[in-house]
Amino acid sequence: MRKRYTREKKHRSGEIPTGSFSDIAFLLIIYFLVATTLVKVKTITADLPAGEKTSQPQSDKTPIVNLRGNEIFLNDRNVSIDELNDRLAALELGTQEPSKRVIMLESARGTPYENYFQALASISKHDGVVAIVEEDE
Amino acid sequence: MKKRPQRRKRRTVPVPIASMGDIAFLLIIFFMVCSEVSRDNSNIQVTLPFSEYVEKIEIPVAARVAIDESGEIYFDGVRVDGAKDVEWGVRALLTNTVSDDQRHVQFKCDAALPKETFEPVLKAIAEAGGIIEAVGENPNP
Repeated sequence: MRKRYTREKKHRSGEIPTGSFSDIAFLLIIYFLVATTLVKVKTITADLPAGEKTSQPQSDKTPIVNLRGNEIFLNDRNVSIDELNDRLAALELGTQEPSKRVIMLESARGTPYENYFQALASISKHDGVVAIVEEDE
Repeated sequence: MKKRPQRRKRRTVPVPIASMGDIAFLLIIFFMVCSEVSRDNSNIQVTLPFSEYVEKIEIPVAARVAIDESGEIYFDGVRVDGAKDVEWGVRALLTNTVSDDQRHVQFKCDAALPKETFEPVLKAIAEAGGIIEAVGENPNP
């Protein structure tokens, strides 16, 4: 005689195990905290106000920085970047009214951005307002 | 008769950990919602110029303009045709700004590029009303 199958099937609950959810979540948080890099770049703030183009010179006393290749001229005198810094510091532009803080920046064709950036940084550091001088076409 | 001191019952204080998972997931959702995806296109090939006056920027920038070593101009990571596109883009972004702090525009340019390439872009940002944050590196970090 065939034996009757009497044993009951084990009752299995279909619950999802949620006990480790908090561990997973905290691991995710830690991962993102560790893996995140805060992008903070180093910059110089250049005050280059937009203005109307004028063919007249600003003033005879307005300092003019001229970049020709790798050379820097301040009021037609050849200076090094350190000398430029010293001379701009001596002008005490921060104490002047805005219209007297203008420094004209002229550059010859082919001037690399490296030199331009250093002059711009120097002027900005000493509270100068940069006015770009354009070449006549 | 002196009473014998009663032994204190030791009570187990269970720390409620049932809601830990919820707290953790809430934290994740909070960070995901609040975080801003960086639009800084780091795959642009740029050799930065050096200056001892560069400082870490603390103000959020309204836009990012970059010129790579081949002279290609990027506005917020997207390549554009020329300085005029940069001007329009910056102008559009700065339309609803109310304070100067919202007008900062990051400018990244390759150190070797000549004036003819970068100066029109600088002028375009200035014309659009942006305050230029020129990215550089400190020679003595």
